[in-house]
Amino acid sequence: MPADTIPTPQSFHQYEWWPRLVSWLAKILCTAAAALALAMLFLILGYMLWKGISGLHWSFFTHLPLQEPMGMRNCIVGTLILAGIAGLIGVPIGMLCGIYLAEYAPKGWTTQGIRLTLDVLAGTPTILFGVVVYQIMVVRPQNYNGWVGHLSLGSHRVQSWMGITNGYSGWAGGLALALIMVPIIARATEEMLRMVPLAHREASAGLGASKAETLWRVVIPAAKAGIITGIMLAIARVAGETAPLFFTAFGNDAMVYNPNRQMPSLTEQIYNYSQSDDPHWRAQAWTASLVLVSMVLVFSAGVRIATRKRRIRGW
Amino acid sequence: MSNPITRDSLAPASNPCHRIFRIVLDRLTIGLSISGVALMFGILLLIFAVLLNGAWMAIAHIGWHFFTTSTWNPVPGMDRYGVLSFAYGTAVTTFIALLLAVPLSIGCAVFITRIAPQWLAGPVSFLVELLAAIPSVVYGLWGAFVMSPWLQTHIEMWMWKALRNVELIPLGYYPGHRREYFPANLVHGGPSGSDYLAGGLILTIMILPIITAITRDVLQQFPEELEQGAYGLGATWWQTTRLALTYCRVGIFGAAVLGMARAIGETMAVVMVIGNTDRVSSSLFAGGQTMAGVFVNEFLEAAHPIYLSAMMYVALTLLISALLTNIAARILLNRITPA
Repeated sequence: MPADTIPTPQSFHQYEWWPRLVSWLAKILCTAAAALALAMLFLILGYMLWKGISGLHWSFFTHLPLQEPMGMRNCIVGTLILAGIAGLIGVPIGMLCGIYLAEYAPKGWTTQGIRLTLDVLAGTPTILFGVVVYQIMVVRPQNYNGWVGHLSLGSHRVQSWMGITNGYSGWAGGLALALIMVPIIARATEEMLRMVPLAHREASAGLGASKAETLWRVVIPAAKAGIITGIMLAIARVAGETAPLFFTAFGNDAMVYNPNRQMPSLTEQIYNYSQSDDPHWRAQAWTASLVLVSMVLVFSAGVRIATRKRRIRGW
Repeated sequence: MSNPITRDSLAPASNPCHRIFRIVLDRLTIGLSISGVALMFGILLLIFAVLLNGAWMAIAHIGWHFFTTSTWNPVPGMDRYGVLSFAYGTAVTTFIALLLAVPLSIGCAVFITRIAPQWLAGPVSFLVELLAAIPSVVYGLWGAFVMSPWLQTHIEMWMWKALRNVELIPLGYYPGHRREYFPANLVHGGPSGSDYLAGGLILTIMILPIITAITRDVLQQFPEELEQGAYGLGATWWQTTRLALTYCRVGIFGAAVLGMARAIGETMAVVMVIGNTDRVSSSLFAGGQTMAGVFVNEFLEAAHPIYLSAMMYVALTLLISALLTNIAARILLNRITPA
């Protein structure tokens, strides 16, 4: 056979029409799947924008739900306060877990056990955090007396000492959200600390710093941007949570700054309004969704774009 | 990461104040971080303790019958509690979601890693991940007011016309009562819009980004040599992609199981579209409840102790099913990416 008739790789499979047709169809199908996913995103966001933008006046940010025209100032403030309380409780616990996991935990079953526990916490349905916090902090223990009753945060003694009038409180809502944050922040912190190169630690040790000094003065400042990204993403995530707030923060139509009282939140108000037949309330639900999604998306998308190089995996 | 820095390797601090500060800082750091881990373990223990404590009465009174009873009747005096109808709702919606989301996600991931040019892959990947950032109550709102009516008048109407005479289990056409009594028919009852199908569809959109993200990461680990080898042997694009999917099957399976865990625990979006009735029906067009959704509907109304205790029993069931799924997913995913 002369050399010039040896088939090139291009012409090699050209006479097989069936595999090429299947290949072409598969490409079309995969592209269609991606297009469908993007279409869902734009359908949801676009419809929400269309329905929500008509209710977007200044009164939405300055009025209360029972005023005329209706507004959701208290819900926006409530969401921010709840997310703030969650951050205050959840960030230190999560960061300390991450620090221990990355810096101190012996390899082997200790690391594996802590990781498994974090995964288990991250996989717990969020509504169960609401149920648990309701049991320990909101409802007054009636079944058990004596010191067990006094230990519970829901006992009359503790609640009157804290100044919680109703069982539901901003503290309870914030605690439920904080429990959701802990595993997210712990994994983010661990991942970021592990990304700091060993050379930094060695240089620090070479200058005579101890392990903790290296950690606080070299490793954590180097990983700071990533850790803050993780914290921001976790806060954006819990700001969109609804289910755990039903039994803990409970909602409120008045303007509340005091976390000892039951707190409103955007998510819960969206659900409440969506259950009504009043078109004005439903319109308010769409506007509230628009505001909530804008807050969450601007927050998380901005953070992601700002730190695209060192991305934190959501899972 | 093995850290070579120990206290023994240190140059001694010359300043005694500095030495004390350093020792205190070291001990404080390790003590605080251990107490953080202890708190985290405490949270997990607390969850189990509170749920077990709350469910104890129901466990003692109902026992295993809880898992074989589909009746949920909280009326005092004639009350019966069984998790089966809620577990069925969770299972059906999760199954529908996986059935649709897994092929879609694989398609998305293949598009991102193997079809799209470089400039397109990044934005598409980012936008699909953005789906995960939308709060679930917004999915619920959209599902209830946009998807459900459209589903009812279009998709379900077509399905009903096509499937209303198709029996899943051919019981024989006894006149009258038997078909009414046990409708082994996927579309029995006619299009309603708020049903298992709607719950499954909204879950599909919600678990799509997580399965896509993991599948994409896994597909990127497909070795270049295998790909070049496949092309060199004359494989088409699809044959090579099939090789990649087979190569990454454990990871993709893990991604699907993780998506399943998400679907089991999802509450708000499902509760807003699923119709919230306490019956079990083989029909996709019947309303139902999920284990997570029943808390939104009934938890604060559980007035008497056994009712509340049965709710906590549901919570325990939900927790354990979600945890087992999650752990299975982590085991599968750790097998492919040893950390």
